[in-house]
Amino acid sequence: MNRDGMLSAVRVGAIAGICMVFAITIGFVEAVSRREVLRDVLPLSTVLLLIVGVITGVLAVRTSTRGPEPTMGAALPRGVIAGAVAGAIIAAYALLAESVDLRAVFTNLSPSAIETVTFDQGIGVGALILVIGGAALGALGAILRLLPPLPTRMVIAAGLTVVVLSIMEQVFRVMLSELGLGAVGSLFYSSGALTLLGALIIAVVTAALVWLARARRSPVRAQLARVTGRPDRRTSLLLYVLVGAALLILPQIVGRFPSDVLGTAGLYILLGLGLNIVVGYAGLLDLGYVAFYAIGSYSIAMLTSPQSFLALELNFWLVLPLVILLAAIAGIVIGAPVLRLRGDYLAIVTLGFGEIVRLLFLSDWLKEFTNAGQGILGIPPPTLPGLEFPGRDPQEIYYPILLACVLAAIVAYRLANSRVGRAWNAMREDESVAEATGINTTNYKLLAFALGAVFGCLSGALFAAKIGSIFPHSFEILVSITALAVIILGGMGSIPGVIVGGLVLVGLPEFLREFDEYRLLVYGAVLVAMMLLRPEGLVPSATRQRELHEADDPDDQYDADAGAETGEPVITGARA
Amino acid sequence: MSVQPVPDPVIDAPATESGDNLVEVRNLNKTFGGLVANRNVDFSIPRRGIVSLIGPNGAGKTTLFNQISGYYQPTSGSITFDGVNIVGLAPNDVAELGIGRTYQNIRLFADMTVLANVMVGRHARLKSQWYEVILGLRKVREEEDATRAHARRLLELVGVPRRYERELAKHLPYGEQRRLEVARALASDPKLLLLDEPTAGMNPGETARMTEFIGQLRADLGLTILLIEHDMKVVMGVSERITVLDHGEKIAEGSPEEIRTNPLVIEAYLGKQATA
Repeated sequence: MNRDGMLSAVRVGAIAGICMVFAITIGFVEAVSRREVLRDVLPLSTVLLLIVGVITGVLAVRTSTRGPEPTMGAALPRGVIAGAVAGAIIAAYALLAESVDLRAVFTNLSPSAIETVTFDQGIGVGALILVIGGAALGALGAILRLLPPLPTRMVIAAGLTVVVLSIMEQVFRVMLSELGLGAVGSLFYSSGALTLLGALIIAVVTAALVWLARARRSPVRAQLARVTGRPDRRTSLLLYVLVGAALLILPQIVGRFPSDVLGTAGLYILLGLGLNIVVGYAGLLDLGYVAFYAIGSYSIAMLTSPQSFLALELNFWLVLPLVILLAAIAGIVIGAPVLRLRGDYLAIVTLGFGEIVRLLFLSDWLKEFTNAGQGILGIPPPTLPGLEFPGRDPQEIYYPILLACVLAAIVAYRLANSRVGRAWNAMREDESVAEATGINTTNYKLLAFALGAVFGCLSGALFAAKIGSIFPHSFEILVSITALAVIILGGMGSIPGVIVGGLVLVGLPEFLREFDEYRLLVYGAVLVAMMLLRPEGLVPSATRQRELHEADDPDDQYDADAGAETGEPVITGARA
Repeated sequence: MSVQPVPDPVIDAPATESGDNLVEVRNLNKTFGGLVANRNVDFSIPRRGIVSLIGPNGAGKTTLFNQISGYYQPTSGSITFDGVNIVGLAPNDVAELGIGRTYQNIRLFADMTVLANVMVGRHARLKSQWYEVILGLRKVREEEDATRAHARRLLELVGVPRRYERELAKHLPYGEQRRLEVARALASDPKLLLLDEPTAGMNPGETARMTEFIGQLRADLGLTILLIEHDMKVVMGVSERITVLDHGEKIAEGSPEEIRTNPLVIEAYLGKQATA
């Protein structure tokens, strides 16, 4: 093995080790150790160590690759070295924490955190496990990297599915018992985690599914068409009906808490779809998007709550058109002053607008109307006029949110694939050329702001009706950042991407509530990792995918286009 | 070359009727701070004519271009296009009136597909409004289909192969990018096409094809063409009339033959000794 490969393996190992030391020091590792993935066998903290070990191995091979793929003989030692170095650093830190009292400085570093990473075996044996285990995992990572894609994908999919299904125990257990399969539920799950048998079954089934689907890189619709031999249009209709039916009965079978999570994710999907118009299509980086969310919430609250100064107590659906109109006006009012700003300047000014709106709702000056810090309470649920439905119950409020998301997705999809969407894209690419092509950029910018504002306000209105009382502190800058993160994670400009991004970034953390204080840390880590590994997002738009992977096999891209011909977004497999 | 020389080039005859000339530039001045980019330029383009604008670097050719396309506003003077005074109009309004252009350094919408680039070019001729798009009206879909078909025909016309259609514009080879830019400009059904150094960076073979293509555009589509070009073979081969700028001023105007022998032009290009 050459010296460069060695050095880079050591470097990767050191980075991984230091990252884990950081995670231990801030208490993250200890926090996740309280959750089990496999009952009595595998706490989440160990899963974290396993994943980091494997990734270290993968990266150790990856960074040393310039030109041809290394052979197994060259890659394996690199993985082993990187993993062992990472393990050794953690072990050294554990030893340090045992001998010196670091808690005076790092208050979150508890003795039990050290016990967690040494697997309760004491520092000597623990260190040995860390180094040897690290080396083994690094080797596994290196092997995974060099294996053909299919087995790698099978292993990764099996592992991730086990972890996710375990974390989402609350959903699936309820779901199984709702379906009258409670016995199956207790076979798979026991007190908050998967059983060993359950995990094995899940891993095998997932791997088998991946294997069965191996040749299917074309979109699902094309597959269905081939299988059923029906014309494309009818199969896609069938698919829509099936997905629609599943979405409709979902809250009834998953229970209350998951329905609530789905509702929250839905609100962020709505925000993401709106912000995607402004940022993804028109290229206007708006960091103050929360302003529209706040305006939507407050206008619904003022018009429907008996406790607002208006005391009108109108029905949600009756005032919704008015709120949408207000939203569009708000979008234009906030958009007009920033028409001439581009890029960074636009981002800074909109950031300011977002804060101004929140501070206005908080201010004493408007206290008469907004109740300042006390907020507005007693907002009624969005019941249909003369009905009790849908109420505030998570399993009912889910439906208006779903409706709004579906409508928003349709609107966004139609706009994206039209004269309007093209004009926005052109503006994003080169504003002055867009003008010379006949696009009135002023109008199109205002249109983007107004439509984005409508989606944001709609989300805010549903948020207010969902939780019943709103306060200025619900509209912090974090909402804007999360909405932006949803788009980036999912894939800029991609509607399926926004949906996946919303579910992953907003939905998943709800099942890890006990680690709430580390949420931002995980956001940051996820975003950095995404930007490095898959900058086009989880479900990129067809164009964006090509943009960021220009060197990838060009012949393949034409295959992928077979589905794009129909104008539907294509979900391509992980080719990164 | 298929281009016929115009029998009687109207050189200094004042073209008072806008019916004869598609573009009339009168007494145009443009300054940037203390820098005079165009001084008292008078200049016209006859309908269905091919006129070239030549001159050394920094002579103010592109500045003149940018004023005709509405990107810059003149400091003083007037520009009439098809009988309409276009001074003060925004670039998008100018484009809508029927002026299409290409750029010296290719400026495509790099991260959009080839087909989308041409379809954007058609923007000004499409009627679908945003609310009609949201409602998914039938006429919106029909217009969209027609636009796609039209864009494909234009790509065929300029000679960008069909297989590139879904490729990103920035991934095209250089020559194809130039042609794509022309297709985008043509998509708006312009009456006047402004070409800013269309053969820059091309090899002799590509240059010859582009020259022929410019002639064809006029013959087949009835376009009026204004060309900035450095390659004298192209200029002499394709244009009926040539206007020479130097230091922002028009120093000569006439048929290729006259320009070739004009002492002022030779001086501007080669220096004073050359004429002596």
